[in-house]
Amino acid sequence: MEEPRIGVYICWCGNNIAKMVDVEAVAAEVGNLPNVVLAKTYKYMCSDPGQDLIIKDIRGHHLNRVIVAACSPRIHELTFRNAVEKAGINPYLFEMANIREQDSWVHTDRSEATKKAIDLVNAAIHRVRFHEPLQKRSVTVDPATLVIGGGISGMVAALEIANAGKQVYLVEKTDRLGGHVARFDLTFPHLSSAKQMIHPIIQRVENHPNIDVFKQSVIRDVSGYIGNFKALVQNGQPEPLELKFGNIIAATGLKSFDPSKIEEYGYGKFPDVVTSMEFEEILASGKVLTKHGKEPRNIAIIHCVGSRSKVYHEYCSRTCCMVALKFVNQIRAGLPECNIFEIYADMRAYGKGCEEFYAESTHRQIIFLMFDQQEKLPVIRQAEKTDDCNMLIEMDEKLSGESIEVPVDMVVLMVNMEAHDDVKDVVHAIGVSLCGNQFFIEKHPKLDPVATTTGGVYIVGTCQGPKDIPDSVAQARAAAARILATIAQGSVAVEVTTAFVNEEFCCGCQTCIRVCPYTAISFKEDKKSSEVNEVLCKGCGTCGSACPSGAITSKHFTDRQILSEIEGIMSMSYKEI
Amino acid sequence: MPSDLPIPKPKLKLAIYWGAACGGCCVSVLDTHEKLLDIVAAADLVFWPIAMDIKYKDVEAFPDKSIDVTLFNGAVRNSENKRMAQVLRSKSKILVAYGACAYMGGIPGLANFHNRDEIFKRVYDETESTVNPEKIRPQTEYTVKEGKLDIPEMFNDVYTLNQVVEVDYFIPGCPPQSERLLEVFTAIATGAQLPPKGSVVGANEKTNCDECKRKKTDNKVIKKFYRPWEIQDDKETCFLEQGVICMGPATRGGCGVRCVTGNSPCRGCYGPPAAASDPGAKMMSAIGTMIDADSPEEIDKIIGTIVDPAGLFYRFSLPSSILGRKIIL
Repeated sequence: MEEPRIGVYICWCGNNIAKMVDVEAVAAEVGNLPNVVLAKTYKYMCSDPGQDLIIKDIRGHHLNRVIVAACSPRIHELTFRNAVEKAGINPYLFEMANIREQDSWVHTDRSEATKKAIDLVNAAIHRVRFHEPLQKRSVTVDPATLVIGGGISGMVAALEIANAGKQVYLVEKTDRLGGHVARFDLTFPHLSSAKQMIHPIIQRVENHPNIDVFKQSVIRDVSGYIGNFKALVQNGQPEPLELKFGNIIAATGLKSFDPSKIEEYGYGKFPDVVTSMEFEEILASGKVLTKHGKEPRNIAIIHCVGSRSKVYHEYCSRTCCMVALKFVNQIRAGLPECNIFEIYADMRAYGKGCEEFYAESTHRQIIFLMFDQQEKLPVIRQAEKTDDCNMLIEMDEKLSGESIEVPVDMVVLMVNMEAHDDVKDVVHAIGVSLCGNQFFIEKHPKLDPVATTTGGVYIVGTCQGPKDIPDSVAQARAAAARILATIAQGSVAVEVTTAFVNEEFCCGCQTCIRVCPYTAISFKEDKKSSEVNEVLCKGCGTCGSACPSGAITSKHFTDRQILSEIEGIMSMSYKEI
Repeated sequence: MPSDLPIPKPKLKLAIYWGAACGGCCVSVLDTHEKLLDIVAAADLVFWPIAMDIKYKDVEAFPDKSIDVTLFNGAVRNSENKRMAQVLRSKSKILVAYGACAYMGGIPGLANFHNRDEIFKRVYDETESTVNPEKIRPQTEYTVKEGKLDIPEMFNDVYTLNQVVEVDYFIPGCPPQSERLLEVFTAIATGAQLPPKGSVVGANEKTNCDECKRKKTDNKVIKKFYRPWEIQDDKETCFLEQGVICMGPATRGGCGVRCVTGNSPCRGCYGPPAAASDPGAKMMSAIGTMIDADSPEEIDKIIGTIVDPAGLFYRFSLPSSILGRKIIL
């Protein structure tokens, strides 16, 4: 290895760092350390003049390692990697020390914060000495796309890609396209027809020359990696069909919560207690009638059934409040004399036009009754013969503080939307992760909401979490745009900081196989050694730390680099203890 | 292996010494059986306290570098061990850390989970058979009528040999297998090209699993850890897959997988393989990935079934590990 010649740059970040960290003192302290050729400070290292400073020094002082002590590497690591690359150094010979988020922003004592900055920079100096150049790699992209799920998200994504002239395979578990939206009567907040919206989309998908639709079909044996996947479609035929594609969109949606678990509501016991999805069908039939064919005189709508509950699901299903208001508008239009009770825990009306919709709906002669979901759920019981109604709801009304009985002939339960039971099969097939609520996890909750940590696999619509139609469609189009961009490029860069197995040291214990979340490791019987598929590998490092023999190295996170870094962080101010 | 070792002219000078050791390493030399005769034909044993009567002052009088090879077994536990390590270093051309204790600290190194005060308190005050109302402690000097006696000082820490003096080669094992010793000795005696200084010799590059005949799969999913006597070993499945912690995958091969062949899990005496520095840390990381739990509480419960984890994972390697010792304030 060539002798390291390290340039260290301490950023002021305007006043963000310089206010709490004595940047000059840091530069003076680390400037004399072994292998450090120069240590400088600058007001904004990320600015063009800041980057030019690095490039000039690399050339003038023959630096072969560069450290910038500034903000989080999540923000500017790429900026500086590109800068050092411009000056002819491999970008992985750069290291960043975070003295802003991890230091100046979180401390109030300037001398302590300065000491910490010195430790963090010293850690980077220790680490960067052992950095090795890594080469960028890319793979070609098959222009076809697999879409799993034929609901509105899946169909919109499929159309977007197909309209750009690219092949789409759309696989739907059931015998029809349209998903939940096809079962809705009207949509909120404009009360426009769901059917008029969804049917033309179904038509376009089914007739599109670039879309192959597989109904009553499931995907199995997905293998490969970004740009180069293959899988089998199983649809009752004796021979499954093999498909090849470069990207995957999971649009598998979700399902209604089964309210029969909640005893208080008597779902399954009282025929006129129905779920919101069942009520959509009643509305779509054109007439709201009880099971005995009578016009109900009192209808109650109970919110948050299975949602925002410590027992069932803690999360909010997001759409039910507005669907409930849609229902009261529809009921009022059909049954002008009917008493309508909105039994809610909180009214949530975010989304464009929704608060206005709520305000308008309050003029429909609705009785709003509030309950405390954490304290006591309303209880539905059979009415006596002498009562002038079918059932009675006993509840503690929160705003008045009174215990009341509400007469009802029909109750609509606004059921929670929860993950499919078979969600784990999909997870395993395509390599995505689940959150605690069994929804797919996006790569970054804010900045990368439709990608996943598996390259080439995207998640759209409600499989990522409950959401309304506009949000689902936005995600679908976003994923399509991401995929079309990689198809247009023809190739995609794949992770550089991957793991590899040194066959000389692998003893074949196979500890690594199961720990890989990306199924990138396989055991080669002939070599008695594990092998990492570097295209599938995301460089998470799990196998490297699991390997008891030291045969697996995580590039850019070697034991040597990490232990040196720890030594660096412990060796300056720690000495004083 | 040749039955007759070539006799170099002049004969090699060989020394064998023990620091904090059990004596097993010296016995492993005797375990070469009739080959010992070949060794003494090829080399003069100039110093070997277990077998020969020779005083420290005689060794100190040797000229520097007059011993060709010294096999130093045992850890460095007291001032006597340290002084003899320094003397033998200067008298020897090749100093070999022989066995797990000299190499990594070994069983005596487990004392680094305590300190001198704790150990003295236990030994000189608390043990069930101790009566010591004056709380007398070992002294480093004592005056008798013949004069003043110097008694070695026990250190607070146990050290490996190379933490005290420069070491040329390391031969691992508790004790090293006698066949390996003969191979190394033959290489030196025949003037073969020796590996770079600092190498581990008399052992393999790969770990024990490479030679282990038990069936290994990726099915290392552990709900409960067992001690060997708690299971009915099927004698053919990887111990880890039966929930028994076996240090095999983090331990350099070379012993001939003796323990596992005898249906006992590997304890790790041959130390880390070439690519891993700290077998205890490596094995704990590996075990962490095998635990099959759905909640932090379940993880705690499963880990709770590992008896004496520190002693298990660092049985032979504590002083040489990243951990080094337990910090006792």
